Amino acid sequence: MIGILFTIFAPIIGGFVYGFERIIKARMQSRVGPPLLQPFYDFFKLMDKRALMIHSLHALMGIMYFISEWFAFGVLILGHDLLIAVFFHVIAVLALVIGASSVRSPYSVLGGLRELMHMISYEPLMVLMVIAFYVVTGSFNIENILHFDGYPILQLPLVFIAFVLTIPMLLQKSPFDIAEAHQELIGGPEIEYSGPFYEALYTGKWIEYLYVFTFVFLFAGSHYIVGAFLVIGVFLFINLLDNSTARLDFRRMVKFAWALLIPMAALNVILLAL
Amino acid sequence: MELFVTLNIVLPWIIALIIFVAKKDIITNSLTFVTLPLLGVTAYFAYIQATPVLIETPKWVDVLMVVYDFGLLGYFFYQGIIKKSFLVTILATLQIAFLIIVMLVIEHSSTANLYVDNITTMFYLIVAIIGVPIAIFATKYMEYDEKDKHKFVAIVIWFLGVMNFAVSVNNIEWFFALFETTTLASFVMIGFRKDKEATNNAVLALWMNQIGGVAILMALLILIKVNGVYHFTDLLKNPTAISLAALGFLSLSALVKGAQLPFHKWLLGAMVAPTPVSAILHSATMVKIAPYLILRISPIIKGTLLAKLLIITTGYVFVVAAVIALTQDNFKKILAYSTISLLGLMMLSAAVATPIAITAALVLIIFHAFAKGFLFVEAGVLEKVFHTKYIQDMRRLIEKAPLTLMFIFFGFLNMTFVPFGTFIGKWMMIEEVSNFLSHGSYILLVLYVGAGSAFLSILYMKVLGVSVRKSHGISKVNFVKLPFRFNFVSVWYYLWLLAITIFIAPFITDFILPIVNSISSTPEIYRDGLSLHMYDSILPFWQISGALGLLLLIHALPYFIHFKADVTHPYNCGETFPKHMGTWSFDCLAKYEGHFIAFSIALFIMVVVLGGGLL
Repeated sequence: MIGILFTIFAPIIGGFVYGFERIIKARMQSRVGPPLLQPFYDFFKLMDKRALMIHSLHALMGIMYFISEWFAFGVLILGHDLLIAVFFHVIAVLALVIGASSVRSPYSVLGGLRELMHMISYEPLMVLMVIAFYVVTGSFNIENILHFDGYPILQLPLVFIAFVLTIPMLLQKSPFDIAEAHQELIGGPEIEYSGPFYEALYTGKWIEYLYVFTFVFLFAGSHYIVGAFLVIGVFLFINLLDNSTARLDFRRMVKFAWALLIPMAALNVILLAL
Repeated sequence: MELFVTLNIVLPWIIALIIFVAKKDIITNSLTFVTLPLLGVTAYFAYIQATPVLIETPKWVDVLMVVYDFGLLGYFFYQGIIKKSFLVTILATLQIAFLIIVMLVIEHSSTANLYVDNITTMFYLIVAIIGVPIAIFATKYMEYDEKDKHKFVAIVIWFLGVMNFAVSVNNIEWFFALFETTTLASFVMIGFRKDKEATNNAVLALWMNQIGGVAILMALLILIKVNGVYHFTDLLKNPTAISLAALGFLSLSALVKGAQLPFHKWLLGAMVAPTPVSAILHSATMVKIAPYLILRISPIIKGTLLAKLLIITTGYVFVVAAVIALTQDNFKKILAYSTISLLGLMMLSAAVATPIAITAALVLIIFHAFAKGFLFVEAGVLEKVFHTKYIQDMRRLIEKAPLTLMFIFFGFLNMTFVPFGTFIGKWMMIEEVSNFLSHGSYILLVLYVGAGSAFLSILYMKVLGVSVRKSHGISKVNFVKLPFRFNFVSVWYYLWLLAITIFIAPFITDFILPIVNSISSTPEIYRDGLSLHMYDSILPFWQISGALGLLLLIHALPYFIHFKADVTHPYNCGETFPKHMGTWSFDCLAKYEGHFIAFSIALFIMVVVLGGGLL
């Protein structure tokens, strides 16, 4: 029941998370920051704007990105199998990349291609993480993990660290905000969207926050309070990282993921399975 | 049963002969169309019969087979001489020598020479449903400035008969004969255009595949010497006593036939032939012999060092072929590399050989056959109707060839995304292997599957990204009228894939599980309505239909949805638009290709030497 509510209200909850994040970020930079409801004010403003598009395919892919992201989150929360939820996320990436590639704008196309590099960095690691959960809890089912008596994080410290360092890739945070790269690609895949279509993409991003932090929450098993602290801690850490680091080259990102994070996670799984 | 098996094997040969002799358009075109229901029905009747069945063959067939063997090898020898290929000649000589030794030491066995079980009938169905439409496609394709249409179609249909024969034999010596017949068929087809490049590539395919032939003969010799048996069923009767060296050589021949690195060049070379050749080699026939062979011996090699080395090698190919595919710019080459990659995954699943892994292997075989047949047919349409061969020519395909692009899109979706068969195969493999991660080879396997599927996904997205690039506005979409036969074949594949994907749960439990049962025990897979259960994991129908719905919308909707919003130019930071925009060529990876291949050679040798216990 809670799962269904969570799924239905995902865009709204995601909006609050995003608003909160903007405040946190501002405070870290000694600014006051926007009000908590700013994302919703933006929503109303963008919906009110004149709808402009490059062509229907491009606009449609923005909307499909939002729907796929929402659906992937639903599969994660309501579904039974974490692995399937990971693969559902690829559908959202597909919509984003197809949309980004469909316009005659180098910023957008380059952003789409870089999005693929993001995927090659985090996708294998997420699969490994799901397997790590299976090794610890004996199930791929989210229900069983949420009722697991121990703390998975104690047995999966390296996987946890690896995943936390992957979150910037998933959420487009510095130092891995390579596809969006506001100063050089001006948003990458987002640049050519405007008005309501941009709002769809924007809301999709809020849901991605929930999608990612649900995985963090799972690291505490059935100890929901610890899970909540984990989520808040990781959230603060990611923002701190975002504020204090400069963007890296995409090659560095791929190398970092493949040379450090994936072996690290694999090592943890091997040690556990032995 | 004998009747249907005979029909399945002989019918394509007869039809091919008629087409070859008659050389009339009307006969070729109508007969290929008739072949579809004809072979479909015979395959279906073979499928519903009780299996497994051992079929005795008359003594003269045995003699005929030996004569045929020598004739075939003599032909290879002759080709080696006239094409001035040292390797072909030497390998043919080697095979003739080995075959003579085999003939000298072989003892009469009372086991029947034909063995038809569920895997065999599954291949009959694959050949009938996936193979025959390619012949139909070829009848139209060859009308676009190509020569010898009738001969070509005849060879394609004959090849289907050879494939049906190859999967029904029990006697490994016969299997050798048919293995080499498929080599012959690919040699003829690849060299069909008779220009220099085609001939070179045909010779390449010939000698590479002959290595597989030599390996089978070595396996045969060892089997006769050590175990005194040379039938698949006899091998399975006493699996622990079978010489690992023989199995190692059989696996080697499978790896060669399956175009695994470093023997992948022959399959790439097939690209110079008319496109139906690639379609037939990649989908229903030829390369599928590789996973078939591993499936046949999987109960014997399960858990051995050989199986683990096979897993390491094929998994490596799965990832590396996908990586190399990223660096290619020829559409057919990209498809070829992704076939090599997925063949690796199929053989890997077959080598793991637990019931669920075998289910995964079968699902992969079927879906890959459909999707690759489909994609190559579309590649042929692109080539003949739209004159597009390279990725950079695929720019704005969405305006030029919307329907074909939609089909290609769908084919690509089938190769990686939820809920299509390839995904199901990967899902099953990962969840199955998670149970025994304490073995080093299995943790590698998980990494392979995760990484390989990510690489394949970005490969397809990269290609699609180029094809959907548009200028401004959507009104310019231009629906070109395609020939009926092209559309028929495309829609045929499309509908089959769609139907199987929607009913994936019943398809797996009612069609695949009986086949798995004939190889190993029943896997813990069952269904509940249209939802699929495996152990305690569920793929519910709402997820299957949801993902399918999303992907169908993504790939088809752009043609039907037109928003009533104002259209503008891309903002592009106010800069001028570039005339041409390509995509990444991944040159940074291309320079590692040599290293990748060198490492694969090392793995290859390891499979034979360590896995076969030759040390």
